[in-house]
Amino acid sequence: MTKLDHKSSAAGGNGNVPNPDLLTAEIASDQWPGDEFDTPGARFRDGVREWWPYYLMLAPGLIYFALFHYLPVWEAKLAFEDLRIIGPNVWVGLKHFAQLFASPAFFEVLMNTLIISAMKIAFVFPLPIILALLLNEVRSGRFRRGVQSVIYLPHFLSWVVIAGIFIAALSPADGVINDMRDMIGLERRSFMTESGSIRWVLVWSEAWRSTGWDSLLYFAAIMSIDPALYEAAEMDGASRWQKMRYITLPGIVPTIATLFILNVGLFLNAGFDQVFNLSNDAIRDKIDIIDTYVYRLGITGGQFSLATAAGLFKGVVGMTLMLGAHFLSKRLTGRGVW
Amino acid sequence: MATRNRTPLERVEEAIILSVLIAIVVVTVQPILNLLAISLSDPARVPGMSGMAITPDGFSVDIWKLLANHPAVQRGLMNSLFITSVGTVLNVTCTALMAWALSRKRLPFRRTLFVLILATIVFEPGIIPDYFVMRRLGLLDTYSAVIIYKMVNAWYLIILIRFFEEVPEELIEAAKLDGANAFQTFWRVVVPLAKPALATITLFYVVYHWNEFLRPMIYFNDQDMWPLQVVLRQFVVVGDKAAIVGLQAMNNYEGASQIDFKAFRAGMILFTILPVLAIYPLILRYFTKGTMSGALK
Repeated sequence: MTKLDHKSSAAGGNGNVPNPDLLTAEIASDQWPGDEFDTPGARFRDGVREWWPYYLMLAPGLIYFALFHYLPVWEAKLAFEDLRIIGPNVWVGLKHFAQLFASPAFFEVLMNTLIISAMKIAFVFPLPIILALLLNEVRSGRFRRGVQSVIYLPHFLSWVVIAGIFIAALSPADGVINDMRDMIGLERRSFMTESGSIRWVLVWSEAWRSTGWDSLLYFAAIMSIDPALYEAAEMDGASRWQKMRYITLPGIVPTIATLFILNVGLFLNAGFDQVFNLSNDAIRDKIDIIDTYVYRLGITGGQFSLATAAGLFKGVVGMTLMLGAHFLSKRLTGRGVW
Repeated sequence: MATRNRTPLERVEEAIILSVLIAIVVVTVQPILNLLAISLSDPARVPGMSGMAITPDGFSVDIWKLLANHPAVQRGLMNSLFITSVGTVLNVTCTALMAWALSRKRLPFRRTLFVLILATIVFEPGIIPDYFVMRRLGLLDTYSAVIIYKMVNAWYLIILIRFFEEVPEELIEAAKLDGANAFQTFWRVVVPLAKPALATITLFYVVYHWNEFLRPMIYFNDQDMWPLQVVLRQFVVVGDKAAIVGLQAMNNYEGASQIDFKAFRAGMILFTILPVLAIYPLILRYFTKGTMSGALK
């Protein structure tokens, strides 16, 4: 109502018959509240009125992201500084990066990271796919669900617990593996402290932990394949093997591709929690990866700038891999990493 | 599917598949059952026990009594329960509120916020800058540091946003017409609808907090603040036998002197797993459903 009153009084105040052009011009320049919805000010005010409760909901989360995800990015400038106990830090440019790339130790952990990641992709990545295919061949639903409800468990155990389990199972004196080797006449070995076997301990403990849970994604993909395809194949007399080869596998190729690419995107994460708990002095040089190196250098050794530089190197290369993985996945399968 | 008579070849195939699956189940549970058997055996017979055993040799709950009375274990348990419960409540509340706001398609700056949050997944500056942030904020040696440092997990946030986007717009409009404000709409309409999704991320966060060991190690100087995982790590991975021996001197009940490291380790690992085992049926119910429907979409 006020809107109409205002307009008419403005028009009437001139005492003339309103010229349509003038009238529009007058309205367009009028900033009276509520008079026009399309002015920036009014739009902003309406936006605030409608959305402030939602921004209140966002507030704790946004403050959290600012403090604990963006402030660390600022703190990472430590990689370019020398730390001073008293007074401000001293800017030293790329000194710590130069020192890092010149050190044989860093080259060693970089190689370890790449080797361990490659071994895991080669030997662990295919296992859940095979497991999902096997589960799909089980006729009895009860047996299948029973198996599934057991094999997901290790995924929810911490690496401290899994390390404890593996240390016990691989114990040379009374671990299950060595007791079995003893039974079939092989000599007892200390897998946890032999430099030739420790990387395989990483591979098999990763397999123990993640094969079951990861098979869930592939199994879900298999379940979403149109059953009519199988029926048609059965009419044509296809064998179990042919159905697997020509229907099931092609059906889960997009899932395999997405997860493979995601794994490549995370290539520099060779598994901090795992290595940290399975490592010991005897074999450290074989499985020390970038993340454990950063921890030891910084948290244990107090060389904060050098450790930050190593972490930043990993962050930047990791970001490149992850973005590459995302856009490649989007292009190939239409589904990104997130 | 109609089952026709199986040929001998198919029967062999089936037998092979079933045996492989049974073998996988055995490999998964045998190490855990072995630890259970050791922890329930007569402590005197534990040193000679095989790693293959899955039944106790003799029977005794001495180890469990010892664990329950161990001051470091008791403190660890209380710390873990405190961090997990407070942390999870905070996690779920903040993640859900944030996800609901971000799931509104017309929210101003929605795209910008999305990009800023996804960027935190893609680029991580590392644990050293995280440590210096905690120091700058004066949170070192406080429980808050461990509770808050992962208050909103970006992946879980995305899962919830996707879920909330599916909430029918008519329900929201109807609530608005009834005079409900944004918070009332969220609490009375959205939360009841989202119960399965919220249960899923609650369990995610519980497991996450329970299994956390690194941040407490970095942020806490005081060992009395350690959660159970760090205590377990100290005993089992680091092999700090002194802590256990010292305790045996303190506990002078019968049989304690005979308890060796192996039995203690077995009991301690299981003690740490117990809560995960307790919520595992819930996990099976919600995770598998949630993950599968997400994957099927």
